[in-house]
Amino acid sequence: MNLYAFTKSFGSQTAVTVPDLTLQAGTLYAVIGANGSGKSTFSRVIAGVLSPDSRRPVTEAGLRVGYLPQKSYGYRLSVLQNLLLVNQDRERAAQLLEAVQLSHLAGKPAHRLSGGETARMALARLFMGWYDLVILDEPTASMDMESTMLTEQLTRQYVSETGCALLLVTHSLQQARRLADHALYFHKGQLLEQGPAKTVLYEPQCHEAQQFLSFYGS
Amino acid sequence: MGSAVEQAVQLIASGDRELLNILSVTARMSLSSSLIALLLGVPLGLLLGACRFPGRGLLLVLNRTLMGVPPVVCGLIFYILFSGVGPLRHFHLLFTVEIMILAQVVLITPLLTSHMETYVAQIAGPVRETAKGLGLSRWKTFLLLLNESRYPIFSGYLLGFSRAIAEVGAVSMVGGAIAWKTNVMTTAIMQYTNRGNFSLGIALGLILLVLSLGMNLLLSLLQRKVAS
Amino acid sequence: MKKLLALVLALSTVLGLLAGCGAKENTAGTTTEDTANTETTDAPETTDNTAETGTEETTDDNSGAVVVDLTILKEADDSMLNTYSMIAVNPEAPFTDADGNAVSDVTINTAGADALMHWLLLPETMELATNYGMEEYGNTLFYAVDGAPTYEGEIPAATDETKTIRLSTTTSVNDSGLLAYLLPQFEEAYGYTVEVQSAGTGKAIEAAKFGNADLILVHSKSQEEEFVNAGFARVIDGMETERLSFLYNYFVLCGPSADPAGVKDAATVLDAFAAIAEGKYPFISRGDGSGTHTKELSLWPAELGITEDPESFADYTDWYTSANAGMGACLVMAEEMGGYILTDKATFLTFVANNGVME
Repeated sequence: MNLYAFTKSFGSQTAVTVPDLTLQAGTLYAVIGANGSGKSTFSRVIAGVLSPDSRRPVTEAGLRVGYLPQKSYGYRLSVLQNLLLVNQDRERAAQLLEAVQLSHLAGKPAHRLSGGETARMALARLFMGWYDLVILDEPTASMDMESTMLTEQLTRQYVSETGCALLLVTHSLQQARRLADHALYFHKGQLLEQGPAKTVLYEPQCHEAQQFLSFYGS
Repeated sequence: MGSAVEQAVQLIASGDRELLNILSVTARMSLSSSLIALLLGVPLGLLLGACRFPGRGLLLVLNRTLMGVPPVVCGLIFYILFSGVGPLRHFHLLFTVEIMILAQVVLITPLLTSHMETYVAQIAGPVRETAKGLGLSRWKTFLLLLNESRYPIFSGYLLGFSRAIAEVGAVSMVGGAIAWKTNVMTTAIMQYTNRGNFSLGIALGLILLVLSLGMNLLLSLLQRKVAS
Repeated sequence: MKKLLALVLALSTVLGLLAGCGAKENTAGTTTEDTANTETTDAPETTDNTAETGTEETTDDNSGAVVVDLTILKEADDSMLNTYSMIAVNPEAPFTDADGNAVSDVTINTAGADALMHWLLLPETMELATNYGMEEYGNTLFYAVDGAPTYEGEIPAATDETKTIRLSTTTSVNDSGLLAYLLPQFEEAYGYTVEVQSAGTGKAIEAAKFGNADLILVHSKSQEEEFVNAGFARVIDGMETERLSFLYNYFVLCGPSADPAGVKDAATVLDAFAAIAEGKYPFISRGDGSGTHTKELSLWPAELGITEDPESFADYTDWYTSANAGMGACLVMAEEMGGYILTDKATFLTFVANNGVME
């Protein structure tokens, strides 16, 4: 599937500039870069939450995009009802809750969950749906180690099950290395490097990415 | 004070017909005006809080201005409009409960709108972003936003109701405080006080307070149910 | 649980405040309000007791203030005559809207106004009116005007169109309870509904000029004549004049029983007013353009130049208080300040009777 080039600015400040991209189905892309590198803005524009400067579409028409915002939000409904918002498949909801270890909280109001629980609920809720492209913006930021592992496992499983392309925005190089097939490296609003994870996450070509790696990678 | 309480109890216990009439007019006026204001204020607040459109800033300023209109001024405008010589005289609404409700709606709606807008503006971003990410329809998103706003809707209704039941400036002007027709608790209290009949005024005031308290208790109980 | 506690606290504070307000009847009250407030905040469970104690305390401290000290010092003086007239509103009157544009199609219930006025002028009704007050106050409150017009004819029953009669009257008439006593009998007999709005005479007449009344019942000759001369009035069937004066009573000059100005011994009311001004004894004026206010203005020595204009009494504010309030509220003020006041007798008697209850 194709993503079209765009620029997104806030006021006079250009936040991110991206060229045309082609994504493969069934592939997990890690989007990495330092804070403020534009990776989050990139994901929000692709998700359709922000519109690019040109206001032209950035994805192919009819593409189903699922997006998990950085800050998960639990609606004032029970955890189960939150999941059923997406579709009515109760069996799948039960499975997903089991997978994120929230079965015992299915009846609890979602806005009363803790930060980590909300994040897991939000992931399960997203995975209730079927998408061509899924974007996860720092899904494990508020999670402990165990939940992070659960999330990573579930994410991988979702990609292989549904054959979607998945953009995982993460600040953790380790997580990217654990999960990604491909990687996109952002630096100061520019997509500096992209390619197989083996290259970008281990032996990047550009100087900035090498520095980033030596800083976070050890 | 003791005698005022006694008198209040006696008034209620004796089922004084004029008191019952005042109570029913008060209830009719406050309940309907706060309900209508709620029906107008909630969508308006949702619109202003959740949507960005040209003219929104102007509407917000306008709403804030309307919030600051003193009730007597509102009453005066309605009085002039609906007077026997006013441009809207053919409606024959002056000195009716209907026009009292109308004036109250004009006073309360901006309040509820602002109350709603403030809350919705805070949650609209995350609610919509999340809904968009899940591919939910606009209608579903709207319903979710409404559901998230249960608390301000309830507290807003309470706010509107207590404003309506306590208001005196506008209702005395457009209602005329006519016995058996448009006399509500506040105007009756004013009448009694002006007459030098303080104990009856206090007795009525006490009933008003108990009513208001009861309403508040009921709503906070309901709210607790709604919140959980 | 916390919520419940907060509620109890709020309730007790409210009751405490009320206790304060209750005490206000007797004294300035602010201190009591504060005390009651703090006391109840500390001990919400004992609200009732505190409220009670609060009142008792003030009662003990100011036991003198509870009994009405204000007494009638001058009455039944010819210059204190208070004549009530009724005037039917003319549907063809030169009505104008708020911008001064002429308005021609103002709805006035002329048939209803006729019926009510005719009924009030029936000999039987006059009898009822002039006996009113005997039962409640042991004192009649109204007298029939000598040579007042009377009506002996038929009164038509209400129809859907004439059913609602809008009567604009002064607070003093309404507060005397006369209308509440008379009107139900009229309504029952003929099926009308009389909607009574009461305000000071000035406002009552203004309401009629705004097309919001079918008839007025007021007590200020000069303002009534102005209303008639401006073409707002109408001569009803069987009568000769627009202005129908039918009842009267006396204004009374009240003051502290000690009467420092020596009003009681003054030869006339005019002398009494002069004495009050001379000694700068506190005087409470309605100051609201009511009939009572108009009457009061006419009683001051001419050289003081007191009129409705606030400028005219700017130099007298050390003793002359323009309250811009209803009769009852002014009476309370006079009572608290130990001042003199001009009032209609009916309201004064209600005031006294009511304070008896409050004690």
